[in-house]
Amino acid sequence: MSISAEQQAGGPQDAGGPAVAERGPATGAEPSRPRWSRHLPTQANASAIVGLVGGAAALLWTGSNGYRESLLILGCMYSLVAVGMYVPFVLTGTLSMAYSAYAAIGGYTVAILFAKAGLPLWVGWFVAPVISAAVAVILGVVTRRVSGFYLVAVTLLFAEAFSTFVQSNTTLAGGSHGFPGLPTISLFGWTPTVVQFGIAAVALVWVVTYLVDRLRQSPWGILVRTMREVPVAVEASGVRVSWMRVVALGIGAMIGSLAGSLFVTSVHAVNPLTFTLTLVFIAVFMPVVGGVGTAWGAVVGAAVVTELTLNFSAVGSGGLLIVSIGVLVILLVAPRGIVGYIDVARKWVVATGMKLLSKKSTPHD
Amino acid sequence: MGNPQLWVSVFVDGAFYGLIALAYYVTLIGSQFFNFAIGPYAMVTGLGASWLVVDEGWSLWSAVVVMLAAIAVLGAVTELAVVRPVQRRATGGELPALVAVAALLFAIQQLAGEIFGFTPLPGQPILPTSTFTLGSATIQASVVPLLAVAAAVFLLVGLWVRLTPTGRMLRAVGDSNHAARLLGFPVNRIRLIAFILGALIAGLAGLFFAPSSGNGVNFMSGLNWALTGFLALVIGGTGTVWAPLLGGFVLALVNIFVPYYFGGSSVSYVLLGLAVVFFAFRPEGVFARRVRT
Repeated sequence: MSISAEQQAGGPQDAGGPAVAERGPATGAEPSRPRWSRHLPTQANASAIVGLVGGAAALLWTGSNGYRESLLILGCMYSLVAVGMYVPFVLTGTLSMAYSAYAAIGGYTVAILFAKAGLPLWVGWFVAPVISAAVAVILGVVTRRVSGFYLVAVTLLFAEAFSTFVQSNTTLAGGSHGFPGLPTISLFGWTPTVVQFGIAAVALVWVVTYLVDRLRQSPWGILVRTMREVPVAVEASGVRVSWMRVVALGIGAMIGSLAGSLFVTSVHAVNPLTFTLTLVFIAVFMPVVGGVGTAWGAVVGAAVVTELTLNFSAVGSGGLLIVSIGVLVILLVAPRGIVGYIDVARKWVVATGMKLLSKKSTPHD
Repeated sequence: MGNPQLWVSVFVDGAFYGLIALAYYVTLIGSQFFNFAIGPYAMVTGLGASWLVVDEGWSLWSAVVVMLAAIAVLGAVTELAVVRPVQRRATGGELPALVAVAALLFAIQQLAGEIFGFTPLPGQPILPTSTFTLGSATIQASVVPLLAVAAAVFLLVGLWVRLTPTGRMLRAVGDSNHAARLLGFPVNRIRLIAFILGALIAGLAGLFFAPSSGNGVNFMSGLNWALTGFLALVIGGTGTVWAPLLGGFVLALVNIFVPYYFGGSSVSYVLLGLAVVFFAFRPEGVFARRVRT
């Protein structure tokens, strides 16, 4: 799925935007493209703009409605987890299932540093990614010589063990009560209102997703994606494939722990049931639902899945059933996911438009 | 380690984990694929049989036969409708099929909840003995049937893999799909047999373990069983048919005695530690196949 779908829906060769022009005038670097088409946004920038519009729409929909506000934060949390999983999962083809633990590390670090050390809440936001990345690197190094199934197993076991730890450890992690009643975050004397916090959360998701999508198109991103397809060739060029995978796992874990910090800061509490394994199993499907061609697919998937599992009252407890069957259907018949098909439509529109316009403009040249 | 009652639990859990690991093993050697839906197979068979008997008033034997047939069909569907098409589309790597199987795992669990109910049901004892004591340990009615089934299944699968043409082809296909195809083996049929046999073994495990399971069977049990069986297989290795059984018993020893001596929460730490040690230093398990060169 991740392989063929990404090749179809924007692989490495696609980074420069639509390369579909007919007989246009020569413009130096890209000879076969009409001059005006350089002003069209590239795929990455177009996705970023659409993401910005989508985020604004989500904020408008939320307004100051308390229930929608909590849904929005939940959606942002899921988006971050999904984007975090996207890095190792889609880019390097390595599946880690410890994201409930990474999110919990994010949440608990914020809470513990506040409750035990009296530090402001934002300090935890910066400490937690380091801890999560360290854990991810250790688990990645341990399983670097064996197939991906083993990483799945060891990360699941870590998630279980960490959940047991926060449940049973009363001195550090507060036992089954966790940490209720955390204060509102304040940054240098500024305390955001609920609405402002929602805006900040959406902005955070936008920035992280934008960066991850840039990372996908960077030389490193192209390297790891090549490595996913033909590891032998990359290894032969002198790149340690297993270490690149470990780096991707670390980056993903950092983003995952941001998700936890965001959620706990928003709801002012954390306990052992805040982040469960179900989170991971829902989040792993999000990039698939949204489309693996770009990191924005993970965000779209997160929005769809949050809506289906939490806000779609018609199906009741069956939301997860719809999601899992939906994932199967997508894998079997529609491997590009939502964003992939939107991109196909966009390319078709651009190509048709160019055809029409270049026919008209050729005589004038 | 002197409490005989705990040893009874070790044997019960060990036989169950061993059977689940054997189900993985059979699917793995035939298709090079870890079929994580094996946990839900066991859950569906156990829960479904209980539901047919308790809620629908079926006789036990018709429920058992129907559920075993259903699970064989489910195993075939997993290979034909999910794993094979997804693997055919993806050019390399096991991830797409892995995600598909994870989705299938959830779909099976949720469907089982919708059909059989979201509350746990007590397992139905099959061929129960009368409860008796052995030394100072009490042997519950469902212990002997489970152990007997485990022994019989391991013996039969061991003989089948070693002696029958299909069993030997299974290993050939698992070793190299490509070479087996060149030799003219019916690769697709062998893979299908591996999936169906794995599902049947998991189904038997679920049926016979359900009455021994403390809280009955519920729709969420599948994921846990899938993980435990996987770990048992990793510990045991894939060198011989008996390796999953050894892995199952090691895992059962840890699961029973570690909480008894070190407190309930320590077991997940020990499991993680065990996995890390095995994955890092001996990922091929205790028994690995030695290849003569």
